Amino acid sequence: MRIAIVSTYPPSRGSLNEYAYYFVDHMRQKPEIDEVILLVDELPEGAAYPTPPEHVKIIPAWKFGALDNAMRIRRAVQEVNPDAVLFNVQFATFADTRVAGAVGLTAPALVKQAGYPVVVLLHNIMETVDLSKAGFGANVIMERVTRTAGDMFTRAILSADLVAVTIPKYVEILEAKYGATNVILAPHGSFQDAPPPQFDPNPSVLRIMAFGKFGTYKRVEVMIEAFKLLREQLPGTTLELVIAGTDSPNAAGYLESMKQTYADVPGIVYTGYVAEEDVARIFTEATIVVFPYNSTTGSSGVLHQAGNYARPAVLPDLGDFAELIREEGYTGEFFVPENAASLAEAIRRYWDNPEKRQADSMQNYLSSVGIPISEVVDWYLLHIERLLEARAAKQPS
Amino acid sequence: MDMNVSTVSGMSVITLNGRFDAFEAPPLIKWFEDNVTKDQAHVVVDLGGVGFLDSAALASLVKGMKRCRERGGDLVICNLQQAVRIIFELTGLNRAFTIAETREAALNAF
Repeated sequence: MRIAIVSTYPPSRGSLNEYAYYFVDHMRQKPEIDEVILLVDELPEGAAYPTPPEHVKIIPAWKFGALDNAMRIRRAVQEVNPDAVLFNVQFATFADTRVAGAVGLTAPALVKQAGYPVVVLLHNIMETVDLSKAGFGANVIMERVTRTAGDMFTRAILSADLVAVTIPKYVEILEAKYGATNVILAPHGSFQDAPPPQFDPNPSVLRIMAFGKFGTYKRVEVMIEAFKLLREQLPGTTLELVIAGTDSPNAAGYLESMKQTYADVPGIVYTGYVAEEDVARIFTEATIVVFPYNSTTGSSGVLHQAGNYARPAVLPDLGDFAELIREEGYTGEFFVPENAASLAEAIRRYWDNPEKRQADSMQNYLSSVGIPISEVVDWYLLHIERLLEARAAKQPS
Repeated sequence: MDMNVSTVSGMSVITLNGRFDAFEAPPLIKWFEDNVTKDQAHVVVDLGGVGFLDSAALASLVKGMKRCRERGGDLVICNLQQAVRIIFELTGLNRAFTIAETREAALNAF
């Protein structure tokens, strides 16, 4: 199969260039692929695309900001005559001005009219774009005009054989507003197939860590009380409680007051601000990550980080929080909020059971990385093969 | 998640029960790698006991289907609960897989 991909690609600095790089690198290695033809944007004078890897051809076929991109792309597709064409785009891929940007987005429709199967991977939709931040909405009237035009061009994009989006809400919007029946949800995919960090099943120190900005709904009192209980329960174990982060902006002085209140409790480390380059160490050195929350507003970015570093999580059993994190694929040991004994018990359940700690760490890791882009490529190939089969079946024998 | 494999009329039938997610997908992938051969490439996956599956689970089924098709067979899915059927429809994979209402229908789909 020969697939043309319309996209930015490094060293172009256009958005989605990195995504295209990984996507193409995996696609070219698939046994069903003979060639990937990249139809990319022209680089500034003096810059050049590198020699492409095996099974990849790079053809500059459009220019960011130009008005004739759609026509040029159609011509380029006709010249290379692929089996199918995939667009890796978002609303501002072709230009940062209204007219050129919109005209560029008619390219999928033109290519389909030319007789090629077209799949569009659409990374955002007009309905969720903040036009002023995207540079498309100078004032309210112009924003309205832009949105109306956006509706028209969204319909043009939806004339593709298949439009893939990466967020379920986008599918709902496109189906409800435009009556689309050709929109599917596809996973974004993670760029690297990185191995999980090393897991030490028998650490010599029980290092409990909480991460964030403290003093509002993230509070450390109950966690410190639980830590005191654990010190009594595990006299032969070296314990450390790491409070990693700073005061919440709305709770200045909170951690300093905690330091004073619990000055008599040994083994507590207050790291203060954690620089980006220290985040990995803070997480990987922790035996267990605790979420000392007394309320939540949804999911948790810290939980995603804990997953990234393959750490087990001890979480409050709060409202829909447990259900939400399970839906995201994460797991943990739960405690009754504001209850030190319950928190200590939850930590003990992990500390006393290294196998469960390791299994749950791995589950959190797998949930945080999602599926690798190499597998996402398989989904697209599956859909493209289906489109080609349907076309072949329609042709008179 | 529980995973049971049986052989019916010379075809492998995998019955899955429970939550099917990133953590549960690797054993299924390994089963496909170890057991799908040119002589044994027809597989039915009965998802009747699965109430939730995520993208990693779907990816494992895609891998399994590819492996079966590359060896001249196919993978047929059956007994989808409503929530799981919606996920297949949302991802368009209902158009890529052969999906049967019952296990019997799945076995007759080859």
